[in-house]
Amino acid sequence: MDPGSAAASPLSALGAAGGVGFPALHAARARTAERCDGARAALAGMPRDGDVAVVLLGSWGRGELTSGSDDDVLVVTTGARRPGLRPAVHELAPAFARASGGQGTFDDVVTVEELATIGLQEDSNRVLTRRMLVLLESAPLLGADVHRRVLARLLDAYLGGERRDRRPPRFLLNDVVRYWRTVAVDFEAKARAGDDGKWALRHAKLRTSRTMLFAGGLLPLLECHHVTADDAPALLLSELLQPPTDRIAAAFLRYEAVDAGVRTLSAYDRFLALLDDPERRATLEALPRARAREDPTFQECRRLGREIQQGLTALLFEREPLRRLVRQYGVF
Amino acid sequence: MPRRSLSALQPAFPLLALGGRLQTPTRPLRSALLAMHHPLGASTGYMDFSRGDWAGMVERAVAVSTFAAELSALGEDELPGLVAFLEGTPRLPFHYLSVHAPTKRRRLPELQLVALLDRLPAIVDAIVVHPDQITAPEGWLALGRRLVIENMDPRKTLGQLPEHLAPLFAALPDAGFCLDVAHAGAIDEDMDVAHRLLDAFGARLRQLHVSSLRAGRGSHVSLYRKDEARFARVLARCPDVPWILEAPPPRR
Repeated sequence: MDPGSAAASPLSALGAAGGVGFPALHAARARTAERCDGARAALAGMPRDGDVAVVLLGSWGRGELTSGSDDDVLVVTTGARRPGLRPAVHELAPAFARASGGQGTFDDVVTVEELATIGLQEDSNRVLTRRMLVLLESAPLLGADVHRRVLARLLDAYLGGERRDRRPPRFLLNDVVRYWRTVAVDFEAKARAGDDGKWALRHAKLRTSRTMLFAGGLLPLLECHHVTADDAPALLLSELLQPPTDRIAAAFLRYEAVDAGVRTLSAYDRFLALLDDPERRATLEALPRARAREDPTFQECRRLGREIQQGLTALLFEREPLRRLVRQYGVF
Repeated sequence: MPRRSLSALQPAFPLLALGGRLQTPTRPLRSALLAMHHPLGASTGYMDFSRGDWAGMVERAVAVSTFAAELSALGEDELPGLVAFLEGTPRLPFHYLSVHAPTKRRRLPELQLVALLDRLPAIVDAIVVHPDQITAPEGWLALGRRLVIENMDPRKTLGQLPEHLAPLFAALPDAGFCLDVAHAGAIDEDMDVAHRLLDAFGARLRQLHVSSLRAGRGSHVSLYRKDEARFARVLARCPDVPWILEAPPPRR
């Protein structure tokens, strides 16, 4: 599914049920769709190997582009790493203007087998991050069929050894939780290491976008409670092909928590609107940790993050059967 | 086999005071509905015996819950002391902190009151205001999203129904909503007004006020068992927002 597509989405359905519009989220989806079209046009005629997908991650992958978003793109192949693979990363330059986060996560070529190295020493922080972002918040720019095969292969790497009906797959569940905890720990570790640049923006994203991403990964896994082991891969694939906000909106609808869902997605909508305001984004980017307590923009982000967390917590802990599933699988 | 006395058993979860240890000397919550909700918090408004002692009232609120609290300056003469207390950057554990704006002993002109409320530090998440205190809405825009408007009980002339509050929210688009469940319940036994308020302003809902009302007087008292049942469907629509107790946790 195109990350910018909004027609008949669970997000729209939740908004309709609650009488709200989620204007920033829909605007971000429309902007993402438009920028995807532009990027594809810029790459028209570009040779692409049959086993290669150009995959969008980050706000592109979530369909949440704002004016200040980075370009997060990964070339993924289901084949072998090789010289002459097309398109090469540098060939994508005409489609993208902004550099990405600069941590070596994006703007690179990776094979699906490298991504499927799960656990132990070779599964570095970098591999874990790439694998999780491909699974939880990716969308194809080019090679939708290959992107789908990449997701299916990664799911198979997790689910291949699990044959228990009506149970969330533990291996994948543990890795999604590990990724979320890794993000949270690394956030603090960076600050303690003196990397205070963009602390406030990173903090705001941790409490909003990262929180939504984790919940958007956790909820489909808990849905496996409803299906047999044979049906779990297809269920997860269809869920993961949707943006995280659609997975979450669908869960609020499915478990009859429309009021809380509207407030949760409204808070996230406000956060996206705030990020889309260049002045307020610049404030967050420049704000040192020592001044965050008094800063109105930071405090607004903190409140929105709390509202998002409260809504997701209510969904997970006060709706059946999620409450029992989280109790059974969420801690141990 | 000898039977253990009840007192020897660890209290069941609904007896747990959220802010203290299991064997807390403070009053435990005996309402399962309230004890199971998260986040829950106490208003200092019912702590008449400590009026003005903000540190002491915070300590009592912490004994009910470390997650949320409302510091209540219902008398205008209490507000400067509260502002000074919070400007002293006390170490508060709450994830959600609201302040109830003055409704009594009002002397300041409206704009000066807003200016004083706006001095409340950024750790204050919400400033709860009665609609009858807002005569010039544009002056309250300064509070932005921290402004939270509460529905009224039948003793007030306005502010009970969605149609009363709609013009205020239209003039104050960022303002939030505090549903006082007991106020709405005092208007109709079936709680239809509460549902209509949630239908109209649910997307803005930031917190609840939860209590019962003393018959004939309108003062807030601990939640009656019959009200717990009467309010249940309304409360079920609000699982994600802080519930602020405007009276001591029920003893029953």
